[in-house]
Amino acid sequence: GTGGKEGKGWKRFQSYKGEAALPREVENLRIFVDRKSQSVVLPIHGYAVPFHINTIKNVSKNEEAEITLLRVNFQTPGQLAGRKEDTPFEDPDATFIRSITYRSIDGSRFDAISKQITDLKKEVNKREQQKKEMAD
Amino acid sequence: MTTTQFDGIYHGLSPEVGKFRIAVSGMAWKAEEGDQMVAMQASDIKWAQWIRVARNYQLRVGLKDRSKETFDGFVREDHDRLAHLLKQHFSITLETKEVSFKGWNWGVTDFQGQELAFLVSNKTAFELPLTQVANSNIAGRTEVSLEFATQNRKPSRNAPDEMVEIRFYVPGTQTKSRGSDA
Repeated sequence: GTGGKEGKGWKRFQSYKGEAALPREVENLRIFVDRKSQSVVLPIHGYAVPFHINTIKNVSKNEEAEITLLRVNFQTPGQLAGRKEDTPFEDPDATFIRSITYRSIDGSRFDAISKQITDLKKEVNKREQQKKEMAD
Repeated sequence: MTTTQFDGIYHGLSPEVGKFRIAVSGMAWKAEEGDQMVAMQASDIKWAQWIRVARNYQLRVGLKDRSKETFDGFVREDHDRLAHLLKQHFSITLETKEVSFKGWNWGVTDFQGQELAFLVSNKTAFELPLTQVANSNIAGRTEVSLEFATQNRKPSRNAPDEMVEIRFYVPGTQTKSRGSDA
Protein backbone atom coordinates (compact mmCIF):
# COMPACT_ATOMS: atom_id res chain seq x y z
CA GLY A 1 0.00 0.00 0.00
CA THR A 2 1.01 3.63 -0.36
CA GLY A 3 1.25 6.13 2.42
CA GLY A 4 0.09 5.84 5.98
CA LYS A 5 2.44 3.14 7.19
CA GLU A 6 5.65 5.14 6.96
CA GLY A 7 8.18 3.83 9.42
CA LYS A 8 10.03 5.96 11.88
CA GLY A 9 12.25 8.41 10.08
CA TRP A 10 11.25 7.21 6.63
CA LYS A 11 11.05 10.07 4.23
CA ARG A 12 9.33 9.75 0.92
CA PHE A 13 11.72 9.92 -2.01
CA GLN A 14 11.44 9.20 -5.70
CA SER A 15 13.93 8.83 -8.57
CA TYR A 16 11.80 10.01 -11.48
CA LYS A 17 8.29 11.35 -11.80
CA GLY A 18 7.69 9.55 -15.06
CA GLU A 19 9.25 7.78 -18.02
CA ALA A 20 10.06 11.03 -19.85
CA ALA A 21 12.58 11.90 -17.14
CA LEU A 22 14.71 8.78 -17.70
CA PRO A 23 18.16 9.85 -18.94
CA ARG A 24 19.11 9.00 -22.50
CA GLU A 25 22.20 7.06 -21.37
CA VAL A 26 20.10 4.10 -20.17
CA GLU A 27 19.64 3.07 -23.79
CA ASN A 28 22.96 1.21 -23.99
CA LEU A 29 21.84 -1.31 -21.32
CA ARG A 30 24.66 -0.38 -18.96
CA ILE A 31 24.69 0.84 -15.38
CA PHE A 32 24.28 4.61 -15.25
CA VAL A 33 24.83 6.85 -12.24
CA ASP A 34 22.50 9.85 -12.51
CA ARG A 35 23.81 12.40 -10.01
CA LYS A 36 21.07 14.88 -10.83
CA SER A 37 18.29 12.56 -9.70
CA GLN A 38 20.48 10.95 -6.99
CA SER A 39 19.85 7.56 -8.57
CA VAL A 40 21.59 4.57 -10.07
CA VAL A 41 19.84 3.12 -13.12
CA LEU A 42 20.39 -0.61 -13.52
CA PRO A 43 19.69 -2.57 -16.71
CA ILE A 44 17.50 -5.56 -15.78
CA HIS A 45 16.52 -7.77 -18.71
CA GLY A 46 15.76 -4.87 -20.98
CA TYR A 47 14.21 -2.59 -18.38
CA ALA A 48 15.97 0.53 -17.10
CA VAL A 49 15.40 0.30 -13.35
CA PRO A 50 16.27 3.30 -11.18
CA PHE A 51 17.28 2.90 -7.56
CA HIS A 52 17.40 6.02 -5.42
CA ILE A 53 20.72 6.41 -3.59
CA ASN A 54 18.79 6.20 -0.29
CA THR A 55 18.04 2.55 -1.06
CA ILE A 56 21.70 1.71 -1.69
CA LYS A 57 23.92 0.60 1.16
CA ASN A 58 27.22 0.21 -0.69
CA VAL A 59 28.94 -1.43 -3.67
CA SER A 60 31.55 -4.15 -3.73
CA LYS A 61 33.83 -5.34 -6.48
CA ASN A 62 35.40 -8.67 -7.23
CA GLU A 63 37.92 -9.43 -9.96
CA GLU A 64 38.18 -12.93 -11.38
CA ALA A 65 40.70 -13.26 -14.21
CA GLU A 66 39.27 -11.16 -17.06
CA ILE A 67 35.88 -10.71 -15.46
CA THR A 68 34.93 -8.02 -12.97
CA LEU A 69 31.87 -8.48 -10.77
CA LEU A 70 30.13 -5.45 -9.31
CA ARG A 71 27.60 -5.98 -6.57
CA VAL A 72 25.18 -3.29 -5.47
CA ASN A 73 24.00 -3.89 -1.90
CA PHE A 74 20.70 -2.36 -0.81
CA GLN A 75 19.27 -1.23 2.49
CA THR A 76 16.89 -3.84 3.84
CA PRO A 77 15.31 -4.45 7.22
CA GLY A 78 16.80 -7.15 9.37
CA GLN A 79 20.39 -6.16 8.72
CA LEU A 80 22.66 -5.69 11.69
CA ALA A 81 24.85 -3.07 10.09
CA GLY A 82 23.70 0.43 9.36
CA ARG A 83 21.62 2.82 11.37
CA LYS A 84 17.98 1.83 11.58
CA GLU A 85 16.59 5.25 10.78
CA ASP A 86 18.33 5.15 7.41
CA THR A 87 16.45 2.08 6.27
CA PRO A 88 13.64 3.05 3.93
CA PHE A 89 10.58 1.36 5.31
CA GLU A 90 7.25 1.84 3.77
CA ASP A 91 5.89 -1.62 4.23
CA PRO A 92 8.17 -3.84 6.34
CA ASP A 93 6.33 -6.93 5.00
CA ALA A 94 7.22 -6.13 1.42
CA THR A 95 9.81 -8.08 -0.54
CA PHE A 96 13.11 -6.21 -0.65
CA ILE A 97 15.89 -6.41 -3.18
CA ARG A 98 18.99 -7.07 -1.15
CA SER A 99 21.64 -7.11 -3.87
CA ILE A 100 22.17 -7.23 -7.62
CA THR A 101 25.42 -8.38 -9.21
CA TYR A 102 26.75 -7.55 -12.69
CA ARG A 103 29.67 -8.83 -14.71
CA SER A 104 31.80 -7.07 -17.27
CA ILE A 105 35.15 -7.50 -18.96
CA ASP A 106 35.67 -3.75 -18.66
CA GLY A 107 37.11 -3.59 -15.15
CA SER A 108 38.09 0.06 -15.33
CA ARG A 109 34.52 1.09 -16.12
CA PHE A 110 33.24 -0.86 -13.12
CA ASP A 111 35.94 0.91 -11.05
CA ALA A 112 34.57 4.25 -12.20
CA ILE A 113 30.94 3.28 -11.51
CA SER A 114 31.83 1.96 -8.09
CA LYS A 115 33.53 5.28 -7.27
CA GLN A 116 30.60 7.33 -8.64
CA ILE A 117 28.11 5.43 -6.48
CA THR A 118 30.31 5.69 -3.37
CA ASP A 119 30.84 9.42 -3.93
CA LEU A 120 27.12 10.04 -4.45
CA LYS A 121 26.35 8.13 -1.27
CA LYS A 122 28.90 10.21 0.67
CA GLU A 123 27.55 13.44 -0.77
CA VAL A 124 23.97 12.62 0.19
CA ASN A 125 24.98 11.43 3.67
CA LYS A 126 26.93 14.62 4.24
CA ARG A 127 23.98 16.76 3.21
CA GLU A 128 21.67 14.78 5.52
CA GLN A 129 24.13 15.25 8.38
CA GLN A 130 24.25 19.00 7.77
CA LYS A 131 20.46 19.15 7.72
CA LYS A 132 20.31 17.32 11.05
CA GLU A 133 22.83 19.71 12.61
CA MET A 134 20.82 22.67 11.39
CA ALA A 135 17.68 21.20 12.93
CA ASP A 136 19.30 20.67 16.33
CA MET B 1 -1.27 -3.47 -50.32
CA THR B 2 0.18 -1.06 -47.77
CA THR B 3 3.04 -1.81 -45.45
CA THR B 4 4.12 0.47 -42.64
CA GLN B 5 7.76 0.41 -41.64
CA PHE B 6 9.50 1.42 -38.40
CA ASP B 7 13.29 1.76 -38.41
CA GLY B 8 15.85 1.31 -35.65
CA ILE B 9 14.02 -1.56 -33.95
CA TYR B 10 15.64 -4.36 -31.92
CA HIS B 11 14.36 -7.91 -31.52
CA GLY B 12 14.46 -9.26 -27.96
CA LEU B 13 17.59 -8.17 -26.12
CA SER B 14 19.78 -8.54 -29.19
CA PRO B 15 22.05 -5.61 -30.14
CA GLU B 16 21.13 -6.06 -33.83
CA VAL B 17 19.11 -3.21 -35.21
CA GLY B 18 16.50 -3.80 -37.89
CA LYS B 19 13.27 -2.81 -39.60
CA PHE B 20 9.81 -3.62 -38.30
CA ARG B 21 6.97 -3.91 -40.79
CA ILE B 22 3.22 -4.17 -40.39
CA ALA B 23 0.76 -5.21 -43.08
CA VAL B 24 -2.67 -6.82 -43.11
CA SER B 25 -1.02 -10.25 -43.47
CA GLY B 26 1.07 -9.88 -40.32
CA MET B 27 4.18 -8.32 -38.83
CA ALA B 28 7.87 -8.96 -39.36
CA TRP B 29 11.25 -7.80 -38.14
CA LYS B 30 14.36 -8.06 -40.27
CA ALA B 31 17.95 -7.27 -39.29
CA GLU B 32 19.55 -4.39 -41.13
CA GLU B 33 22.64 -6.54 -41.67
CA GLY B 34 22.52 -10.30 -42.10
CA ASP B 35 19.54 -12.59 -42.61
CA GLN B 36 17.95 -12.62 -39.17
CA MET B 37 14.20 -12.40 -39.42
CA VAL B 38 11.10 -12.86 -37.27
CA ALA B 39 7.68 -13.12 -38.88
CA MET B 40 4.25 -13.26 -37.23
CA GLN B 41 1.14 -14.24 -39.17
CA ALA B 42 -1.96 -12.10 -38.65
CA SER B 43 -3.97 -15.12 -37.45
CA ASP B 44 -1.35 -15.93 -34.78
CA ILE B 45 -1.32 -12.48 -33.18
CA LYS B 46 -3.38 -12.48 -29.97
CA TRP B 47 -2.40 -9.42 -27.94
CA ALA B 48 0.01 -6.50 -27.85
CA GLN B 49 1.51 -4.37 -25.10
CA TRP B 50 3.38 -1.08 -25.01
CA ILE B 51 6.05 -0.72 -22.30
CA ARG B 52 8.76 1.82 -21.51
CA VAL B 53 12.05 -0.09 -21.39
CA ALA B 54 15.73 0.92 -21.53
CA ARG B 55 15.78 1.17 -25.33
CA ASN B 56 12.80 3.50 -25.47
CA TYR B 57 9.48 1.71 -25.95
CA GLN B 58 8.85 -1.99 -26.38
CA LEU B 59 6.13 -3.61 -28.44
CA ARG B 60 5.35 -6.98 -26.90
CA VAL B 61 3.35 -9.36 -29.03
CA GLY B 62 1.55 -12.44 -27.69
CA LEU B 63 1.12 -15.32 -30.11
CA LYS B 64 -1.35 -18.16 -30.48
CA ASP B 65 1.13 -20.77 -29.19
CA ARG B 66 1.46 -18.70 -25.94
CA SER B 67 4.94 -17.55 -26.89
CA LYS B 68 5.74 -13.89 -27.19
CA GLU B 69 8.10 -11.67 -29.10
CA THR B 70 9.48 -8.31 -28.01
CA PHE B 71 10.67 -5.40 -30.10
CA ASP B 72 12.51 -2.45 -28.52
CA GLY B 73 13.34 0.96 -29.94
CA PHE B 74 9.95 2.47 -30.72
CA VAL B 75 9.57 6.13 -29.82
CA ARG B 76 6.69 7.67 -27.92
CA GLU B 77 5.32 9.20 -31.14
CA ASP B 78 4.95 5.71 -32.68
CA HIS B 79 2.28 4.73 -30.16
CA ASP B 80 -0.82 6.10 -31.87
CA ARG B 81 0.17 4.90 -35.31
CA LEU B 82 1.01 1.45 -33.97
CA ALA B 83 -2.23 1.25 -31.96
CA HIS B 84 -4.22 2.21 -35.03
CA LEU B 85 -2.51 -0.37 -37.28
CA LEU B 86 -2.94 -3.20 -34.75
CA LYS B 87 -6.62 -2.36 -34.41
CA GLN B 88 -7.18 -2.03 -38.14
CA HIS B 89 -5.24 -5.11 -39.29
CA PHE B 90 -5.63 -7.57 -36.39
CA SER B 91 -8.48 -6.14 -34.31
CA ILE B 92 -6.34 -6.04 -31.19
CA THR B 93 -5.92 -3.24 -28.66
CA LEU B 94 -2.45 -2.00 -27.79
CA GLU B 95 -2.41 -2.06 -24.01
CA THR B 96 -0.03 0.10 -22.00
CA LYS B 97 1.84 -1.65 -19.20
CA GLU B 98 2.58 0.86 -16.44
CA VAL B 99 6.19 0.97 -15.28
CA SER B 100 7.51 2.28 -11.96
CA PHE B 101 10.37 4.79 -11.90
CA LYS B 102 10.15 5.50 -8.18
CA GLY B 103 13.57 4.09 -7.39
CA TRP B 104 12.45 1.93 -4.48
CA ASN B 105 13.93 -1.48 -3.66
CA TRP B 106 10.81 -2.83 -1.99
CA GLY B 107 7.65 -4.12 -3.56
CA VAL B 108 5.78 -7.30 -4.37
CA THR B 109 6.91 -10.25 -6.48
CA ASP B 110 4.35 -11.74 -8.83
CA PHE B 111 4.66 -14.85 -10.98
CA GLN B 112 3.30 -14.13 -14.44
CA GLY B 113 3.74 -17.21 -16.62
CA GLN B 114 7.44 -17.59 -17.44
CA GLU B 115 8.36 -14.34 -15.71
CA LEU B 116 8.81 -13.18 -12.16
CA ALA B 117 7.64 -9.57 -12.04
CA PHE B 118 8.70 -7.09 -9.37
CA LEU B 119 5.98 -4.51 -8.73
CA VAL B 120 6.45 -1.20 -6.95
CA SER B 121 3.19 0.56 -6.01
CA ASN B 122 1.31 -1.81 -8.34
CA LYS B 123 3.47 -0.89 -11.34
CA THR B 124 6.06 -3.16 -12.95
CA ALA B 125 9.66 -2.26 -12.09
CA PHE B 126 11.15 -5.20 -14.02
CA GLU B 127 10.56 -8.81 -15.01
CA LEU B 128 12.93 -11.75 -14.70
CA PRO B 129 12.73 -14.62 -17.21
CA LEU B 130 12.54 -17.76 -15.07
CA THR B 131 13.73 -19.87 -18.01
CA GLN B 132 17.14 -18.18 -17.69
CA VAL B 133 17.58 -18.90 -14.00
CA ALA B 134 20.55 -21.24 -13.71
CA ASN B 135 20.44 -21.67 -9.96
CA SER B 136 18.39 -20.53 -7.02
CA ASN B 137 19.04 -20.63 -3.33
CA ILE B 138 17.11 -20.07 -0.15
CA ALA B 139 19.08 -18.97 2.90
CA GLY B 140 17.65 -18.66 6.39
CA ARG B 141 14.05 -18.80 5.13
CA THR B 142 14.02 -15.08 4.38
CA GLU B 143 16.59 -14.71 1.61
CA VAL B 144 16.15 -15.95 -1.95
CA SER B 145 18.84 -15.65 -4.57
CA LEU B 146 18.49 -16.20 -8.30
CA GLU B 147 21.52 -16.76 -10.50
CA PHE B 148 21.32 -16.22 -14.22
CA ALA B 149 23.12 -18.12 -16.93
CA THR B 150 25.58 -15.80 -18.63
CA GLN B 151 25.14 -15.28 -22.32
CA ASN B 152 28.01 -16.51 -24.45
CA ARG B 153 28.53 -13.22 -26.21
CA LYS B 154 31.74 -12.18 -27.79
CA PRO B 155 33.62 -10.08 -25.27
CA SER B 156 33.45 -6.46 -26.30
CA ARG B 157 34.09 -3.15 -24.60
CA ASN B 158 30.66 -1.93 -25.66
CA ALA B 159 28.79 -4.99 -24.44
CA PRO B 160 25.84 -4.42 -22.11
CA ASP B 161 26.34 -5.01 -18.39
CA GLU B 162 25.14 -8.49 -17.62
CA MET B 163 23.14 -9.18 -14.48
CA VAL B 164 24.35 -12.45 -12.95
CA GLU B 165 22.58 -12.56 -9.59
CA ILE B 166 19.77 -10.95 -7.64
CA ARG B 167 19.01 -11.51 -3.97
CA PHE B 168 15.67 -10.83 -2.33
CA TYR B 169 14.86 -10.41 1.32
CA VAL B 170 11.40 -11.83 2.00
CA PRO B 171 10.48 -11.04 5.60
CA GLY B 172 6.82 -11.96 5.17
CA THR B 173 7.33 -15.61 4.16
CA GLN B 174 6.70 -17.13 7.60
CA THR B 175 3.25 -15.65 7.96
CA LYS B 176 1.97 -15.40 4.42
CA SER B 177 3.15 -16.30 0.98
CA ARG B 178 2.08 -15.31 -2.46
CA GLY B 179 2.64 -17.79 -5.27
CA SER B 180 5.69 -19.25 -3.58
CA ASP B 181 4.64 -22.79 -2.72
CA ALA B 182 7.30 -24.19 -5.09
